[in-house]
Amino acid sequence: MFIDLLIMLVMAYGFGFLYYGLYRNISARVHGRFGPSLAQSFYDSIKLFTKDTSTDFGWMFFAGPIIMASGAILTVLFIPYFNHGERLVGLSPYGNLIVVLYFMVLGPLGNALGVGSHGNPFGAMGITRGLTRLLGLEMPFYIAVVGLMIANESADIGTIMANQAETYNIIAHPLLFIAAFISFLGFLGKSPFDVVGAPQEVYSGPAVEFGGKFLALALSQSAIFSFAKLLLMVDLFLGGADSLWDLILKTFVLFVASVFVGNVYGRFTTAQSVDFLLKVPTVIAIVGLLFV
Amino acid sequence: MKNLQKTYEVTQKVERLFEVTVTQTDFWEAVLYISTQTEFNTLSQIACADWIEEEHFLLTYILTTDARDKNLMLKLTLGREYESMPSVMTLFPQAEVMERDLHEMYGIGFEGNETLYDFVLEQWHDLPPLRREFDTLAFVHEHFAFKGGREDNKDVKVEQKRRREEAKKQKALEAAKQEAKKQETEKQETEKPKEPNTHATDAEETQDKKPDTKEAEDGQ
Amino acid sequence: MQKGFVAYNNEQKSLEAETEGIKNSQTLIQKAMNWFSARSMFVVAYGTGCGAIEMPPVFTSRYDIERLGVVGVATPRQADIMIVSGYCSLKTLRRVIRTYEQMSEPKYVIALGSCTINGGMYWDSYNTIKKLEEYIGVDMYVAGCMPRPEALIEGFVKLQESIRNNTIQPGYVKYREDYAYYQANQEKLLGKETQPVYEEDYAGMNLS
Ligand code: SF4
Repeated sequence: MFIDLLIMLVMAYGFGFLYYGLYRNISARVHGRFGPSLAQSFYDSIKLFTKDTSTDFGWMFFAGPIIMASGAILTVLFIPYFNHGERLVGLSPYGNLIVVLYFMVLGPLGNALGVGSHGNPFGAMGITRGLTRLLGLEMPFYIAVVGLMIANESADIGTIMANQAETYNIIAHPLLFIAAFISFLGFLGKSPFDVVGAPQEVYSGPAVEFGGKFLALALSQSAIFSFAKLLLMVDLFLGGADSLWDLILKTFVLFVASVFVGNVYGRFTTAQSVDFLLKVPTVIAIVGLLFV
Repeated sequence: MKNLQKTYEVTQKVERLFEVTVTQTDFWEAVLYISTQTEFNTLSQIACADWIEEEHFLLTYILTTDARDKNLMLKLTLGREYESMPSVMTLFPQAEVMERDLHEMYGIGFEGNETLYDFVLEQWHDLPPLRREFDTLAFVHEHFAFKGGREDNKDVKVEQKRRREEAKKQKALEAAKQEAKKQETEKQETEKPKEPNTHATDAEETQDKKPDTKEAEDGQ
Repeated sequence: MQKGFVAYNNEQKSLEAETEGIKNSQTLIQKAMNWFSARSMFVVAYGTGCGAIEMPPVFTSRYDIERLGVVGVATPRQADIMIVSGYCSLKTLRRVIRTYEQMSEPKYVIALGSCTINGGMYWDSYNTIKKLEEYIGVDMYVAGCMPRPEALIEGFVKLQESIRNNTIQPGYVKYREDYAYYQANQEKLLGKETQPVYEEDYAGMNLS
């Protein structure tokens, strides 16, 4: 059991950073550059773990990244990797989709706690943007997930996966998938929904006062978290994975789709993104809900 | 413009630049009159020159029209000993920064301008640096140390002067040579009957000469 | 390697000569840490002077320094390297010192342009400092007025080499150990207030 959990975490960390490296590489090619090596994100994170931390704003400031990281880790532990229900299922027998959805918002809230204690205006601006965006993101995603729960008459991820043995949900409920995919793009925090940490506007936003180890923690949690979201999408709509190769293939396809969207569209402003999220995907999700 | 010419003596410097000189006591009246009664209703710059030999500053308010087609220089002299002027901020709000700058660089006070604190120089305790009695080099040597390797640097202005003079001499020499050659060719022309290609040979000769002169200048 | 671009001259040699013995006394973990911090560099680019104009090409498509693991970041808290690009006026120097002291160790400084080495063409200006190394610890000089992007890249490569092999005593160590010397220099030039005082300027409007 514990070995399983450890493997799940290490896999999430590894794949998260690998995909982040790929993201950097692909966007570099789009810009006409060579881009860094694939392992660059690992180097960054390891170097940051060896650095000093020179800031101190009281224990609340340190608690912020830790709550963030625990949110990401719990999320990934409650999502099963494979659909046989034997190996690498983590804690998913003990919790269902609703728990996962709850843990997914724990990260931003913890972040807000930490940022609130250092009083840097850019951090406060970033976190306000983040929470506003979250408001828009959650609506379509929750509607889509509720649709799936109704269709399967269960809130258990394992059951939803098992029910897709014949047709994947992406074919059975395409509208729900589209709505969930759009808000998934937003959850990833890449453009066009990257208002939170925009370096040109709010000087990396919530992370503005984090240096050294805490930045490393923040980076690692974001890597783990993005892999957790990829997993969740694969589990809910692509029928889960039968083997490791299946897992890699499915997450990779989803990931590449999101990278291309991110490289084609520019950044929305905060108001625009909330507007967009509350209109387009929400309406799609509601229409999809009618067909369930 | 006619209004202005009635009351003040206007001299035209170039086509679109005019000049009015006033005294320090008349200044406020003049600037009020010009900005309200004539077409020059905007301030574009305040310039200052330090005439240390004549012991005064020359302040130039450059006013311009709405259409930006004419400029008026309103000149006045001001004593050097930290005297102050009335601020024109009430007429032209943009004067705030210019006056602040002048205050910092020359030590001129402006009555009515509330913002005469630190501007570009922060916590500067020395003389205002653009006054000419402020010795820049002495200041630099007092406050900074240099590494080795600057011993062979030359005073740029002296060196420039020397080079320019030598270039002038060289030019004079060249001119004299050419004069002599011209006279020779003229002599030849008078002796020989006119040929159509004399111009061409002339041109070739001058072309040949050019690189020579360049080399000579570079060599110095 | 061609030594034409970087000022591999007496200054740089004197920076490097002091610490040739350190290299051998390192544990494996320290070596690994050095390797990683050489491989990944977060840069806060402080555009003080005209040299700043050469930095955008270095970071964007034309020269793409991200290949070497060098990335620009927005705040000094996250940065490992500060580039001081050109002359510093006295007012800027206060901000440079403040930025430098906000960075967390290990941190390095690249001084770009002749102005930071010995005054450059502003050697007789009352308002720019002449030697940056008197006020903060400097690890790498890139000479030139202004240095081409290739020169800056070579500066980065040299710095990475020297971090990896530990051939220089890093500037931040000197700054920490010799703080009295640096502070004396700062105070001689800037007076007691070596840090910018923002409140005073805005609250006390009637300073004159
Ligand atoms: S070295 Fe040259 S380019 Fe660089 S700041 Fe000085 S004058 Fe400007």
